[in-house]
Amino acid sequence: MGIVTTPVAGRPARAAPAIGLTTPRRRRARWVPPLMAVAVVLLIGGLWEGLVYLGLPLAAGQRSLHVDHGPLMVLGFLGTLIALERSVALGPAWSYLAPAGAAVGGLAVICNAPNGVGQAVVTLGGVILVAIFVAVHRIQASLHNVVLASGAMCWVVAGVLWVANWDIPRFIPWLAGFLVLTITGERLELSRLTGRSRRAEVLFVGAAGLFLGGLIVSLFAEAIGVRIAGAGLCCLAAWLARYDIARRTVRGQGITRYMAIALLTGYAWLMVGGALWLDIGRMSFADLGRAAHGSAYDAMLHAVFLGFVISMIFAHAPVIVPSVLGRPLPYNRWFYVPLVMLHVTLLLRLVGGDAMHNKASWQWGGSLNEVALLLFVGLAAGAVIRAARSQRKAARPPQPADGSVQEAQAAT
Amino acid sequence: MFVRRRGQRPDGQDPEGNGAIATVQESDDPGALAAQLYDMLHEVIDPEVGVNIVDLGLVFEVTLTDRLADVRMTLTTPGCPLGGYMEDAIRRTLTRVPEVDDTHMNLVWEPTWGPHMMSHEAKRQLGWVS
Repeated sequence: MGIVTTPVAGRPARAAPAIGLTTPRRRRARWVPPLMAVAVVLLIGGLWEGLVYLGLPLAAGQRSLHVDHGPLMVLGFLGTLIALERSVALGPAWSYLAPAGAAVGGLAVICNAPNGVGQAVVTLGGVILVAIFVAVHRIQASLHNVVLASGAMCWVVAGVLWVANWDIPRFIPWLAGFLVLTITGERLELSRLTGRSRRAEVLFVGAAGLFLGGLIVSLFAEAIGVRIAGAGLCCLAAWLARYDIARRTVRGQGITRYMAIALLTGYAWLMVGGALWLDIGRMSFADLGRAAHGSAYDAMLHAVFLGFVISMIFAHAPVIVPSVLGRPLPYNRWFYVPLVMLHVTLLLRLVGGDAMHNKASWQWGGSLNEVALLLFVGLAAGAVIRAARSQRKAARPPQPADGSVQEAQAAT
Repeated sequence: MFVRRRGQRPDGQDPEGNGAIATVQESDDPGALAAQLYDMLHEVIDPEVGVNIVDLGLVFEVTLTDRLADVRMTLTTPGCPLGGYMEDAIRRTLTRVPEVDDTHMNLVWEPTWGPHMMSHEAKRQLGWVS
């Protein structure tokens, strides 16, 4: 049976377009689950060291794990997930080198591989991620793709500085750059659905440019650069609050409303983080792990990395996990529990701990931040497993009653 | 052979004007089936925006050949991570029809998606128009 399609009357027939991407179902390589499993290992390693930072009486593990908590969480754990999401979407086998680099390199760092091998492999993953965005740009050029590519470039810069043995606080703004530009690039793309104006586009470019400019200046003049980047974060947060689609979709229901609430609360934390960067300027973890509380550094980073970024992860997991894994993750209202817990315990950590210098608040807040994150992972994993079971049950043919099997076979 | 175009009125005009079409061929009741498959795609919602993929202007053409429903469509941007999610949702939705055994999401990047392809209803839902 042949296929004949007819274009709309009055329009010229279009030639069959070149398809740049393969069929999504075929894109999911078999090694997606192993890469996600490595991401979970990196998460657990990073969380363990987070507890050590908080001063809990735990074994500190490898030195590299202790020192590299930040880069491991951002480039190892989140880098693997973000790059995996992009490689699944693009399709070709080479694109999987990006998450593989982040995952394998992260594991090498945890295992204390010599001569900065792990850091170099993680950085290579960032280079491949840039190549993914170049490939996407060749299919369809767009401003938001340039922003996403800039985020990947921040990964590469942070990785190179990591390999070069820079102090982590000196390049941690670039780690934030990777995540902030990746997330805001996505939001810029979606803002087209609200009829984004040219003015909004210009404002976004100004805010992102200010942030990126601050990152560059921070390489030479740390305090000034961090302050400029902080101003950029505030502008980006204000832009998101004004132009993001979540403002409209928060009036929706179910998963749409849940995602919007997670996004909007995340934007509030981005504004807080930006204000702290702007006010404090200098990043130093001299007091962290010794004084173990009252740390400006702790507040500057975790407002952004936990309040903003993890809130985004909670928001998008119900749609990204099914896309990447090929298994449904049905939304349920329990997802609000870890979300609320994350924000409340972050308030406890930053206000009670960092601002009011209460060590117990800082430790409880920080520990419960991790509980919220693990609770979300547990809820999501449980939902995926339950959905897979019910799918298998639905696919199974109904069993005939006793004695009817032979009758059915005889009948055929 | 039967040809049904998206949003086609009895006079053959395309009120949406975005070039989307739906074709079904050589079925016992192709008109009804074409309408059914196309309408069923209204159930596939982009979870983040809460609007279905037809009203978002993402679906260009649906064809049914040898019990395989081929959905020629685009995404708002290449490399959109939601592609896999959409494909699964389309498959779950269309294979509820006994005449459809499987689906194929045929992603294309021409014409380039733009907000002008959204229906009035989608724009209303997202607050562009009242």
